Parts: sequence; C-alpha cells; structure tokens
Amino acid sequence: MKDLNLTEKSHLMSDTKISAKGVQVYYGDNHAIKDVNVDIEDKTVTAFIGPSGCGKSTFLRTINRMNDTIDICRVEGDILIDGEDIYDPAVDPVQLRAKVGMVFQKPNPFPKSIYDNVAYGPKIHGLARNKAELDEIVEKSLRKAALWNEAKDRLQAPGTGLSGGQQQRLCIARAIATSPEVLLMDEPCSALDPIATAQVEELIDELRQSFSVVIVTHSMQQAARVSQKTAFFHLGNLVEFGETDKIFTNPEDPRTESYISGRIG
Amino acid sequence: MPILTLLVVLAIIAVAGYVLGRRRAMASADGDMRKLHSLPSYYGYNAALTGLVPAALVLAVWTIAQPMVLQNNVSDMITTEVADDGALSLIMSDVRRLADGLDTAVAQGALTPAEAANMTAEGTDVRGTLADVGVALGSEVSQDVLGAAQAYRAGSATGNLIKTVLVLLIAIGGTAFALMKTTATFRARNTVERGVMAVLIAAASIAILTTIGIVLSLVFNTVEFFRLYPAMDFFFGTTWQPSFSGRGGASELGLLPLLWGTLYISFVALLVAVPIGLFAAIYLSEYAGPRVRAFAKPMLEVLAGIPTIVYGLFALLVVGPMLKDVFGGDGALGVAWMTGDRSVITAGLVMGIMLIPFVSSLSDDIINAVPQSMRDGSLGLGATPSETIRQVVLPAALPGIVGAILLAASRAIGETMIVVLGAGAAGRLDLNPFEAMTTVTAKIVSQLTGDSDFSSPEALVAFALGMSLFVITLGLNVFALFIVRKYREQYE
Amino acid sequence: MTASPKSSLLTVDARTKKRNAAEKRFKAYGIVAIAIGLMFLVVLLTSILRSGLPAFTNTVVALEATVTQEDYDAAEGQLLKTAAYEALLVAKVNEFLTAQGSTIEVDEDFITDRLVPKTGATIREFYKANPDQIGQPVTFNLPASTRISRYFEGDLLREDVTDSRFLMVEDLDVVDEMIAAGLITTAFDWNFITGTDTAVDNPGGAGIGASVIGSFFMMIVVLLLALPIGVAASIYLEEFAPKNRLTDLIEVNISNLAAVPSIVFGILGLAVFIQFAHLPQSAPLVGGLVLTLMTLPTIIISTRASLKSVPPSIRDAALGVGASKMQAVFHHVLPLAMPGILTGTIIGLAQALGETAPLLLIGMVGYVAREYPDGIISGFVDSNSAMPAQIYTWAARADTGFYEKAWGGIIVLLVFLLTMNLIAILLRRRFERRW
Repeated sequence: MKDLNLTEKSHLMSDTKISAKGVQVYYGDNHAIKDVNVDIEDKTVTAFIGPSGCGKSTFLRTINRMNDTIDICRVEGDILIDGEDIYDPAVDPVQLRAKVGMVFQKPNPFPKSIYDNVAYGPKIHGLARNKAELDEIVEKSLRKAALWNEAKDRLQAPGTGLSGGQQQRLCIARAIATSPEVLLMDEPCSALDPIATAQVEELIDELRQSFSVVIVTHSMQQAARVSQKTAFFHLGNLVEFGETDKIFTNPEDPRTESYISGRIG
Repeated sequence: MPILTLLVVLAIIAVAGYVLGRRRAMASADGDMRKLHSLPSYYGYNAALTGLVPAALVLAVWTIAQPMVLQNNVSDMITTEVADDGALSLIMSDVRRLADGLDTAVAQGALTPAEAANMTAEGTDVRGTLADVGVALGSEVSQDVLGAAQAYRAGSATGNLIKTVLVLLIAIGGTAFALMKTTATFRARNTVERGVMAVLIAAASIAILTTIGIVLSLVFNTVEFFRLYPAMDFFFGTTWQPSFSGRGGASELGLLPLLWGTLYISFVALLVAVPIGLFAAIYLSEYAGPRVRAFAKPMLEVLAGIPTIVYGLFALLVVGPMLKDVFGGDGALGVAWMTGDRSVITAGLVMGIMLIPFVSSLSDDIINAVPQSMRDGSLGLGATPSETIRQVVLPAALPGIVGAILLAASRAIGETMIVVLGAGAAGRLDLNPFEAMTTVTAKIVSQLTGDSDFSSPEALVAFALGMSLFVITLGLNVFALFIVRKYREQYE
Repeated sequence: MTASPKSSLLTVDARTKKRNAAEKRFKAYGIVAIAIGLMFLVVLLTSILRSGLPAFTNTVVALEATVTQEDYDAAEGQLLKTAAYEALLVAKVNEFLTAQGSTIEVDEDFITDRLVPKTGATIREFYKANPDQIGQPVTFNLPASTRISRYFEGDLLREDVTDSRFLMVEDLDVVDEMIAAGLITTAFDWNFITGTDTAVDNPGGAGIGASVIGSFFMMIVVLLLALPIGVAASIYLEEFAPKNRLTDLIEVNISNLAAVPSIVFGILGLAVFIQFAHLPQSAPLVGGLVLTLMTLPTIIISTRASLKSVPPSIRDAALGVGASKMQAVFHHVLPLAMPGILTGTIIGLAQALGETAPLLLIGMVGYVAREYPDGIISGFVDSNSAMPAQIYTWAARADTGFYEKAWGGIIVLLVFLLTMNLIAILLRRRFERRW
C-alpha cells in the first residue's frame, strides 16, 4: 500500500480532518480491513469504491464507531479526528456520533413526523434551548437537504410517507441537524431511482461547503461525478488513494485499473 | 350387534375391498401394471373407501340421532303432571338409567328378556332387582317411567337392528359398486384423491363446527336463562347473591360485581406482568449477550409451561398467606388491610407472574421485527441505546405491543384456576385490593359444579356468564390480532 | 442553529454524563425485570418441592405379628373381622411396652384411631392373599396417622397437643418409646404413586395412581383425534386451500379458538357432550374430546409452520417427475415435516395434560377416583379423575392434610410435563433440518 504523494495544495481547504493509521478490523476470525492508512480532508467529498465485500463499508463504519454495535467486531490501529483518537477509552461514542453523522444505504426514516425526524438529533443532544430554535434548526436542515420546499407544508406528516428520494434527503437532513463536522454516507443512492439519485448527488456537492463528506459507492460514475478524492479498496486493502480524476484516468495500481475497466467487481 | 363388533366388521369389509379391488384391477390389466391408469393400490383404496366412508357416516349419524328420536317418542308416555322442561329432562334421565339398568340385568342373567319387557312397577320390586345387579336407582320406579323405559329399550333394540343391517348393506353395496367400476381405464387415483380431499376439508371445517358448537351451546342456554331471569337485572344488577333452592327468596344475579372483580384482578395482573415482561423483553432483545439470552429466555418460558392449577395452589397456599403476613392484622406492617388469604391482590399477583413470559415473548418478537436500520439510524445520530429504544424502537413497536397487552388481558380475563383458588367467592364492588372478590370464570365453575338442577336460573346463569366472557375475550382477541397483523404488514 | 462550541472528544460533557447515567438506569431496569421473573420461578419451584416432597414419604410403624391358624380362623369367624386383627396388634404393642419396662397400657382405640388407622383390613388382606404366611412372624409396615407422623417429623410439638379423638397427650409417651426402639421410621410411600383417592377423612392414604390413568386415557383420546384431524386440516389449509371466503373463515376461526378461554370449552363440553349427546359424566372420553377441541388450534398452527418450512423446491421436484399434488404432499412434504409436527403435537398434549378448568365442568372434579378402571373400554367411559382435577379436588378439601398431597400431585404432573417437553426438545434437536 502506497501512501501517495498528494497534491494537496491544489485544494482550497486542504487540512486533514480524519486520519487513519494502521487500521485493522476483525469480524471474529475474519480479517476484514488490513492495515489501512488514509488522510481524509475537510470540506471535500471522498469516495470509497471497490467490489462488494472489499471492506469499504466496514471502514466507513469504523469512523463513527458504528461497529461497536456488532459484538464480534474488533478494531485495531488509530483513527484521529482533528488529532483526537476516537478509539480512546475516554471518548464516548455518543458524542463522537453527534460529530460524525451517518446516512445509510436504505432510507430509514423513523416512524415519526418529518419534523420529529429532523428534530430527533438536536433534541437528544440538547442543541436547542427552545421551540423556536428547534424550528429554526429543522428548517435550516431541511433547506440544506433541499427538501424544504417539498416538506414545509406537511411537516407533521409521517416521514415514511415520502417517496424514496425524499426519504433519503430527509435522512440527510436528519444527519446534518446535529451540525456534524463529518458526514458518512453508505451507498446513499443504491435504493433510489435515477432522478432521485441525481438530486441526492447534487445535494452532496453542496454539502461539501460545510462538511467533510465520505461516501461509499458502488457506482464508479457516481464517484467520478461527486468526489474530489477517491479511495479504492480491494479484499480489505486500501489499494490506491488520490485525486478522483487521476484514479479514473491514470491509476497506478494494476488492480485499480482492472476494476475501473470492469475486469473485477 | 354392539358398535365395537360392527366397527370390526366394517374394517374387515374394507380390507377385503382393498384386496379385491387391487386384484380385480390387476386382472383387468392382464397382470401388467403399466396398462393401469393408476397404481394398483389406488384401486384397492377406492374399493375400501367407497364401502367404508358412507357406512361409517351413516353409523355415526344414526348412533347420535337414535337416542334423541327415541326420547322424543317416549316422552309422550309420561303422563305425570310435569312442571316444566327441566323436570321432564330429569325424568327422561331416569328413564335412560332404568333402561340401561334393565339391559345390565338381562346381560347378567338376573332377568330374562321377556321379564324385562313385561314387568310392571306394581308386580315387581324393580329397584330391588336392579340393586342386586349393581344398578342403583335414585327413587322408586313409577309405572309411567317403567313403561317408558321398556318402550325405550324396545325402540333401541329395533333401532340397533336396523342400524346394523343398514350399515352393513351400505358397506357391502359400496364396495361392490366400486369393484364393478374397477377396470384398467378407471381413474382410481383421481377418485381416491377426491375422497382424501373431502376428508381434509372436513377436518379443516372442525374449527368452524367448534365455534358453532360454542356459540349455540351458549346462546340456547342464555336465552333460556333470560326467560327465567330479566336480562336487564343480569346486566345491570349490582348484587350477586344466588339463593339455593329450598332456602327461599329469589336469587340476585347481577353481572357487575363479577365483571368488576374480573377486571380488577386482570388489571393487577397486567400491572405486574407488563412492566416486568416488557423490560425483560427489551433487555433480552437489545442488551443481553447470547449466553444470557440462551439462559434467561427458556427459564422465563418455563413459567409459561406451568399449568394454571399449580399457580392456583401457589396463590392459595403460598402467596395468600405471605401477603397476609405482611398486610394482615398481625402482619409485619400492622395495617390490617387484609383479612383472608384470598384477595384481589393474591390472584392478581400470581396471574401477573403467569403472564410475564406471555408478555415478554410476544414483545420480544415484536421488538425484533423492528428493522435494524431504524436502530442504526438512531445510533448513527449519536443516540444512546436506551434513547434509541425509548424514542425509536418502542414507538415503532407500539401497536404490536398494545396488541400483545390486549392478548394478555384477554388471557387474564379468561383465566379460571387462579381465581377459583385465589380470589374468593363473594361478589363485591369494592376498591380495596386486599379484599376477596370473585370473577366471572370463578362463578361459572361454582354455578355449574355441585348438584344444582340444570334448568334453574342459578345454573343457567353460568351460560350467560360464559356468553359475556366469550364476547369480551373474542372482542379483545379480534381487535388485538387485527392490530398485530397490521403491525407485521408494516415491516414486511 | 446554535453553534455548538468546538469541544474535544476526549472530555465527556455534562449532558452526555447525564445521558449515560440514564442509559445505565434503563439497563438496570431490564436486569431487575429478568431477576424478578427468575426469582418468581425459583420461589415457585422451591415452594412446590418443599411442600410436595413429603407427600412421597410416609411415617410407618413396624409391627411384628405372628398370626396362627387358630387366630386366623377365630378372626374370620367373627362379625367384625378386621377388628379381630386390630386386637392382635393391641396385644403386640402392649407386649412391646412391657418389654421396654413401661407401665403404660394401650387400648384398641389407640391402635385403630390414633396410631395406625384402618389397618385391620390391610392385615386381613395380606393373610388372605398369603395363607402360607400364617404361623410365621411377619413384620407389617403400617402407615402412621397424620398427627403422629407430624409429631415424628417434628412439625407437631408435644406442647401443642391437646387431647382429642385423634391424639391424646399420653399417646406420645408410647410413640416416644417406639421411636426410641426404631419402630417408627420414614419410608417411601408407594401408595401415593400407585394408590387411589380416599374419603375426605383419610388424607394419609390418598394416592394419585387412578387419576394418572384417567389422564392417560384422556391423552390417548386427544392424540388419536387431534393429531390426524390437526394434520389433515393443516395440509388442507397449507397445501390445497384456495383463497376464498371459506378458507378465510376457517383461518379466522382457528386463530380465535386458540385464544378462547379454556373454561368456555368446558361449557361446550357440558352442553354438547353431556347434556346433548348424553355421554357419561366424568369420563376420560369426554375430557379427551373437550381437550381435543381445545388443543386442535395449537396443533394446527404448529403443524402449518412445519409444513411451511419445507421448501417449495421439494414440491416442485415431485410435481416435476409427474406426481400428483396429493402424492407430492403425502410422499415428500409430510414425511419431511413430521418431526416438527410431532414436536408441536407433544407440546400441545403437554398443554392439554395440565389443563384443569374445562374438566371442572364435565364433572371430573368432585368425583372420588377410588378405583382403577377394569379394562380399556372402562378406562375411556367410566368415571375417573385426571391429574390436575385430582390436585384441585385435594386443594379444595377442608382437611389441610390433603394440601401436601396436592403439592405432591403437582410434582408428579410436572415430571410428566417435563418429560414430554424433553422428548419434544430432543426430537427437534435430532431431526432439525436447515434448508
């Protein structure tokens, strides 16, 4: 695995947000992630690509410690966010996850109203002092998620009643309502139709203004469309990491090239 | 021919039919199985079933109908002034017992068949004769009853003869008919399968028959009860005081005190079972590791496998005295709230224990049906597991849990043994949970056991109580199942 | 939006601390709930064992007697034959007391009413059955009266004894002598297992044997009816039933019947089988019929689950080689589903075995099961009790001596239930198949 010499200066904001060092993940006896080192930048969309079962989702879930909920999962190595090790025993995953939001593969709105879905995070973290502030957070989040115009008249309607694309944008609104610094997205468009996918992709590009976005995707086209940086995973290894343009046009590793040209996957 | 012998003969005919059917089919195909439409055994089954099934049906219907028809004919012979239908039914049971007694006497050789048929009440000591062969009769036999019994015997003898002949004819005729049709091209398999299908449908219909049986037996007797006792007084009466025949005074049979006791005890039971069961289910499905789960879940389910009589005895002999030691007059608290072992709280507590596994396993299923993605969504936002459970999982599972609680309530309302032994016998409209009260089910038992006359309002009221119980639990069940089903569909 | 101040992940803020405390509390509620549930189980089981185990032992008085041919003939010649044998015992005990150097002398009332009640008949029956023992010394282990056995076991203290026709204070002197000589001991009470119910004044002699037989015949009826009917109904509903009104009606009926209170089935049994069809009261046949109707829904539900778990590929494979639908089901699906069906049936039977309420209404309670049935037919149609009904009968009796028997009966019942459930579990383990 090569840590590539990145042309970081070419980016507007190029400070490192997340830094993984020697990360190993085990599911029981299965060595799922093998010694991954990567630096993810702030205000950038980073895409993780690779064939199914390559470990990209697993690695994504280690960034906000969602793997803690799986009993047999064990993580070694360091993951630093703003220089702080998130696997330090002093870190409470609850606080971490408020800072590192997550959007899942399948839209999973809670069986509550649209309003309550978005307000859920701010409420549990105590981000609003009163109803007016909460209203403001909800509106702002929905606007950011490009759902405000469609939802403003039906805030009390159940979130499960929205269309698939709207549900996914609701989940994004819900994730950004806690004002996270990093947003993790696990194949956010895999359950959506092409139109909804386009809307979500557009949204991801806008979110880059405020967050560091990490997106796992199956589709190389999508990675090329939305991301500035791309990491290619294969069999638990981080094979190649670099500028998206470079990965797709001139990959260094033969495995990456095989994948890009459709020979593995 | 006694029915057992008849059944054996039918079985022999069926076996013979099978063998002959099979042989005839093989013969018609010149011994080459491949020329037959179906496997040879199907021709055998066809012959056996065509003979057996109609004969068995006729036998069953005849056996059930014959006593009823006879009784109808014979009851005209009773000339004694009969007060009402109830008294008539008592006399008719005397007639039956006497007829059976005469049969026994003839079988044991104490009487010749002619003597049994011609004896008169004046001429012979019927009671004494029968007592010698071990048949005890309650009272002296009047000529009416003896005559009726003799007619009954004669009728059943004729009936049995006709039955035997008819059944055998049908069996042999059916078998012969099937054998006649047996040729190589006959579609024996299809015929047999149609027959088997009819049997399957009949078996499935037993569920409907059971429900009809329940409804009819409740409705008829309830209507009978309301003819003797005003329905308004039953539904809105606030006193439960059945009088026993002979003591004088009319009974007061009000449903309300019983219903109150039932609901109060069920409420206490749910107060125990729901929090414990629900929290146990939450812990087992959301927190417990596989080892704790593998141990605690079956252990809790042992509570569900224990028969209710055990809980009843536990209430009466362990929990009741224990509570009295605490809340009774000389108790640890010295509050003297409780005067006896039996009380609402005794029965309610024990019933609650019984319902814990019921609530917990139903809730466990329902909580597990909430998709993992919901939990991930909430945990991913930084909610703690308990926040996730309280604010996402439980609201999502709420309809299902409500359904489970309603099912538990219906269980509690219909539970019998615990309240019979632990709740008390007096109907009471009271708020004190340490007081003994009684329930609908306990009174059904007490009104229908013992020597009461089945035609008195005191006994018939049990059917009206049963009807109320059936309607309440049915309503709860239908509603609960509806909710649970709706809930399941939501996540499928 | 309130901009949350840039905070370090390494310090846990106050709000998170509070939330974590709530988390711990919530988790503790769950542990407490499970602990309470398990505690109830432990209390229940220890109560049963503590109160029930004594029913399996009784206190016996060992008395050695030699009945000569003359004694036997003399006794048989008397009007009250059993009393003559009891008189022999009186002499025996007095002989023993003299040998011990005691001056007390006992009378016949002591033997027949207070020490070993109703034993004359036992002795007479023994000699009638074993005439060769006449003239030989024979040791009789005779069950002691309830009060004396309680005294022997330390449950009854001398201070608490007041003279009554059941026990006089001075009797205890004799009893003490006998205890000192080792004549009074505790023995396993076979009579409790094999015996029959007794009159209300003799709790010591009551046994559960006859009602075990009653339960056995009931279970035979349930097995013979519920298994074939349940399997046939399930096969129809699962494999053949078209989606129509009738099928829906049957489905709704089955799920509702499964939740109808068992006492309602008792009412059904009383009205249909006894009042309408005039089947004999208290008969295991009627009990079995009622329990069949009650267990059918359970068996149908579990059978359908087993049929459903056989993958459709098996049916397709059979149909593909030209089997009829009926042949596919009976030759392939049913045998594969059989272990599951049997497991469900055993569990249904276990449920039926412990059910009491419906039996109350068809007259199995209150009937004193004093004898074993004569044969198979008699086993089905003659009045008998059943285990749970017998337990209830004992619990409802005024003499508290029967409570011990009721608890003992519960142990016997639970042993049966445990065995049936173990068989079901083993069956499931042995034949469990993963597709």
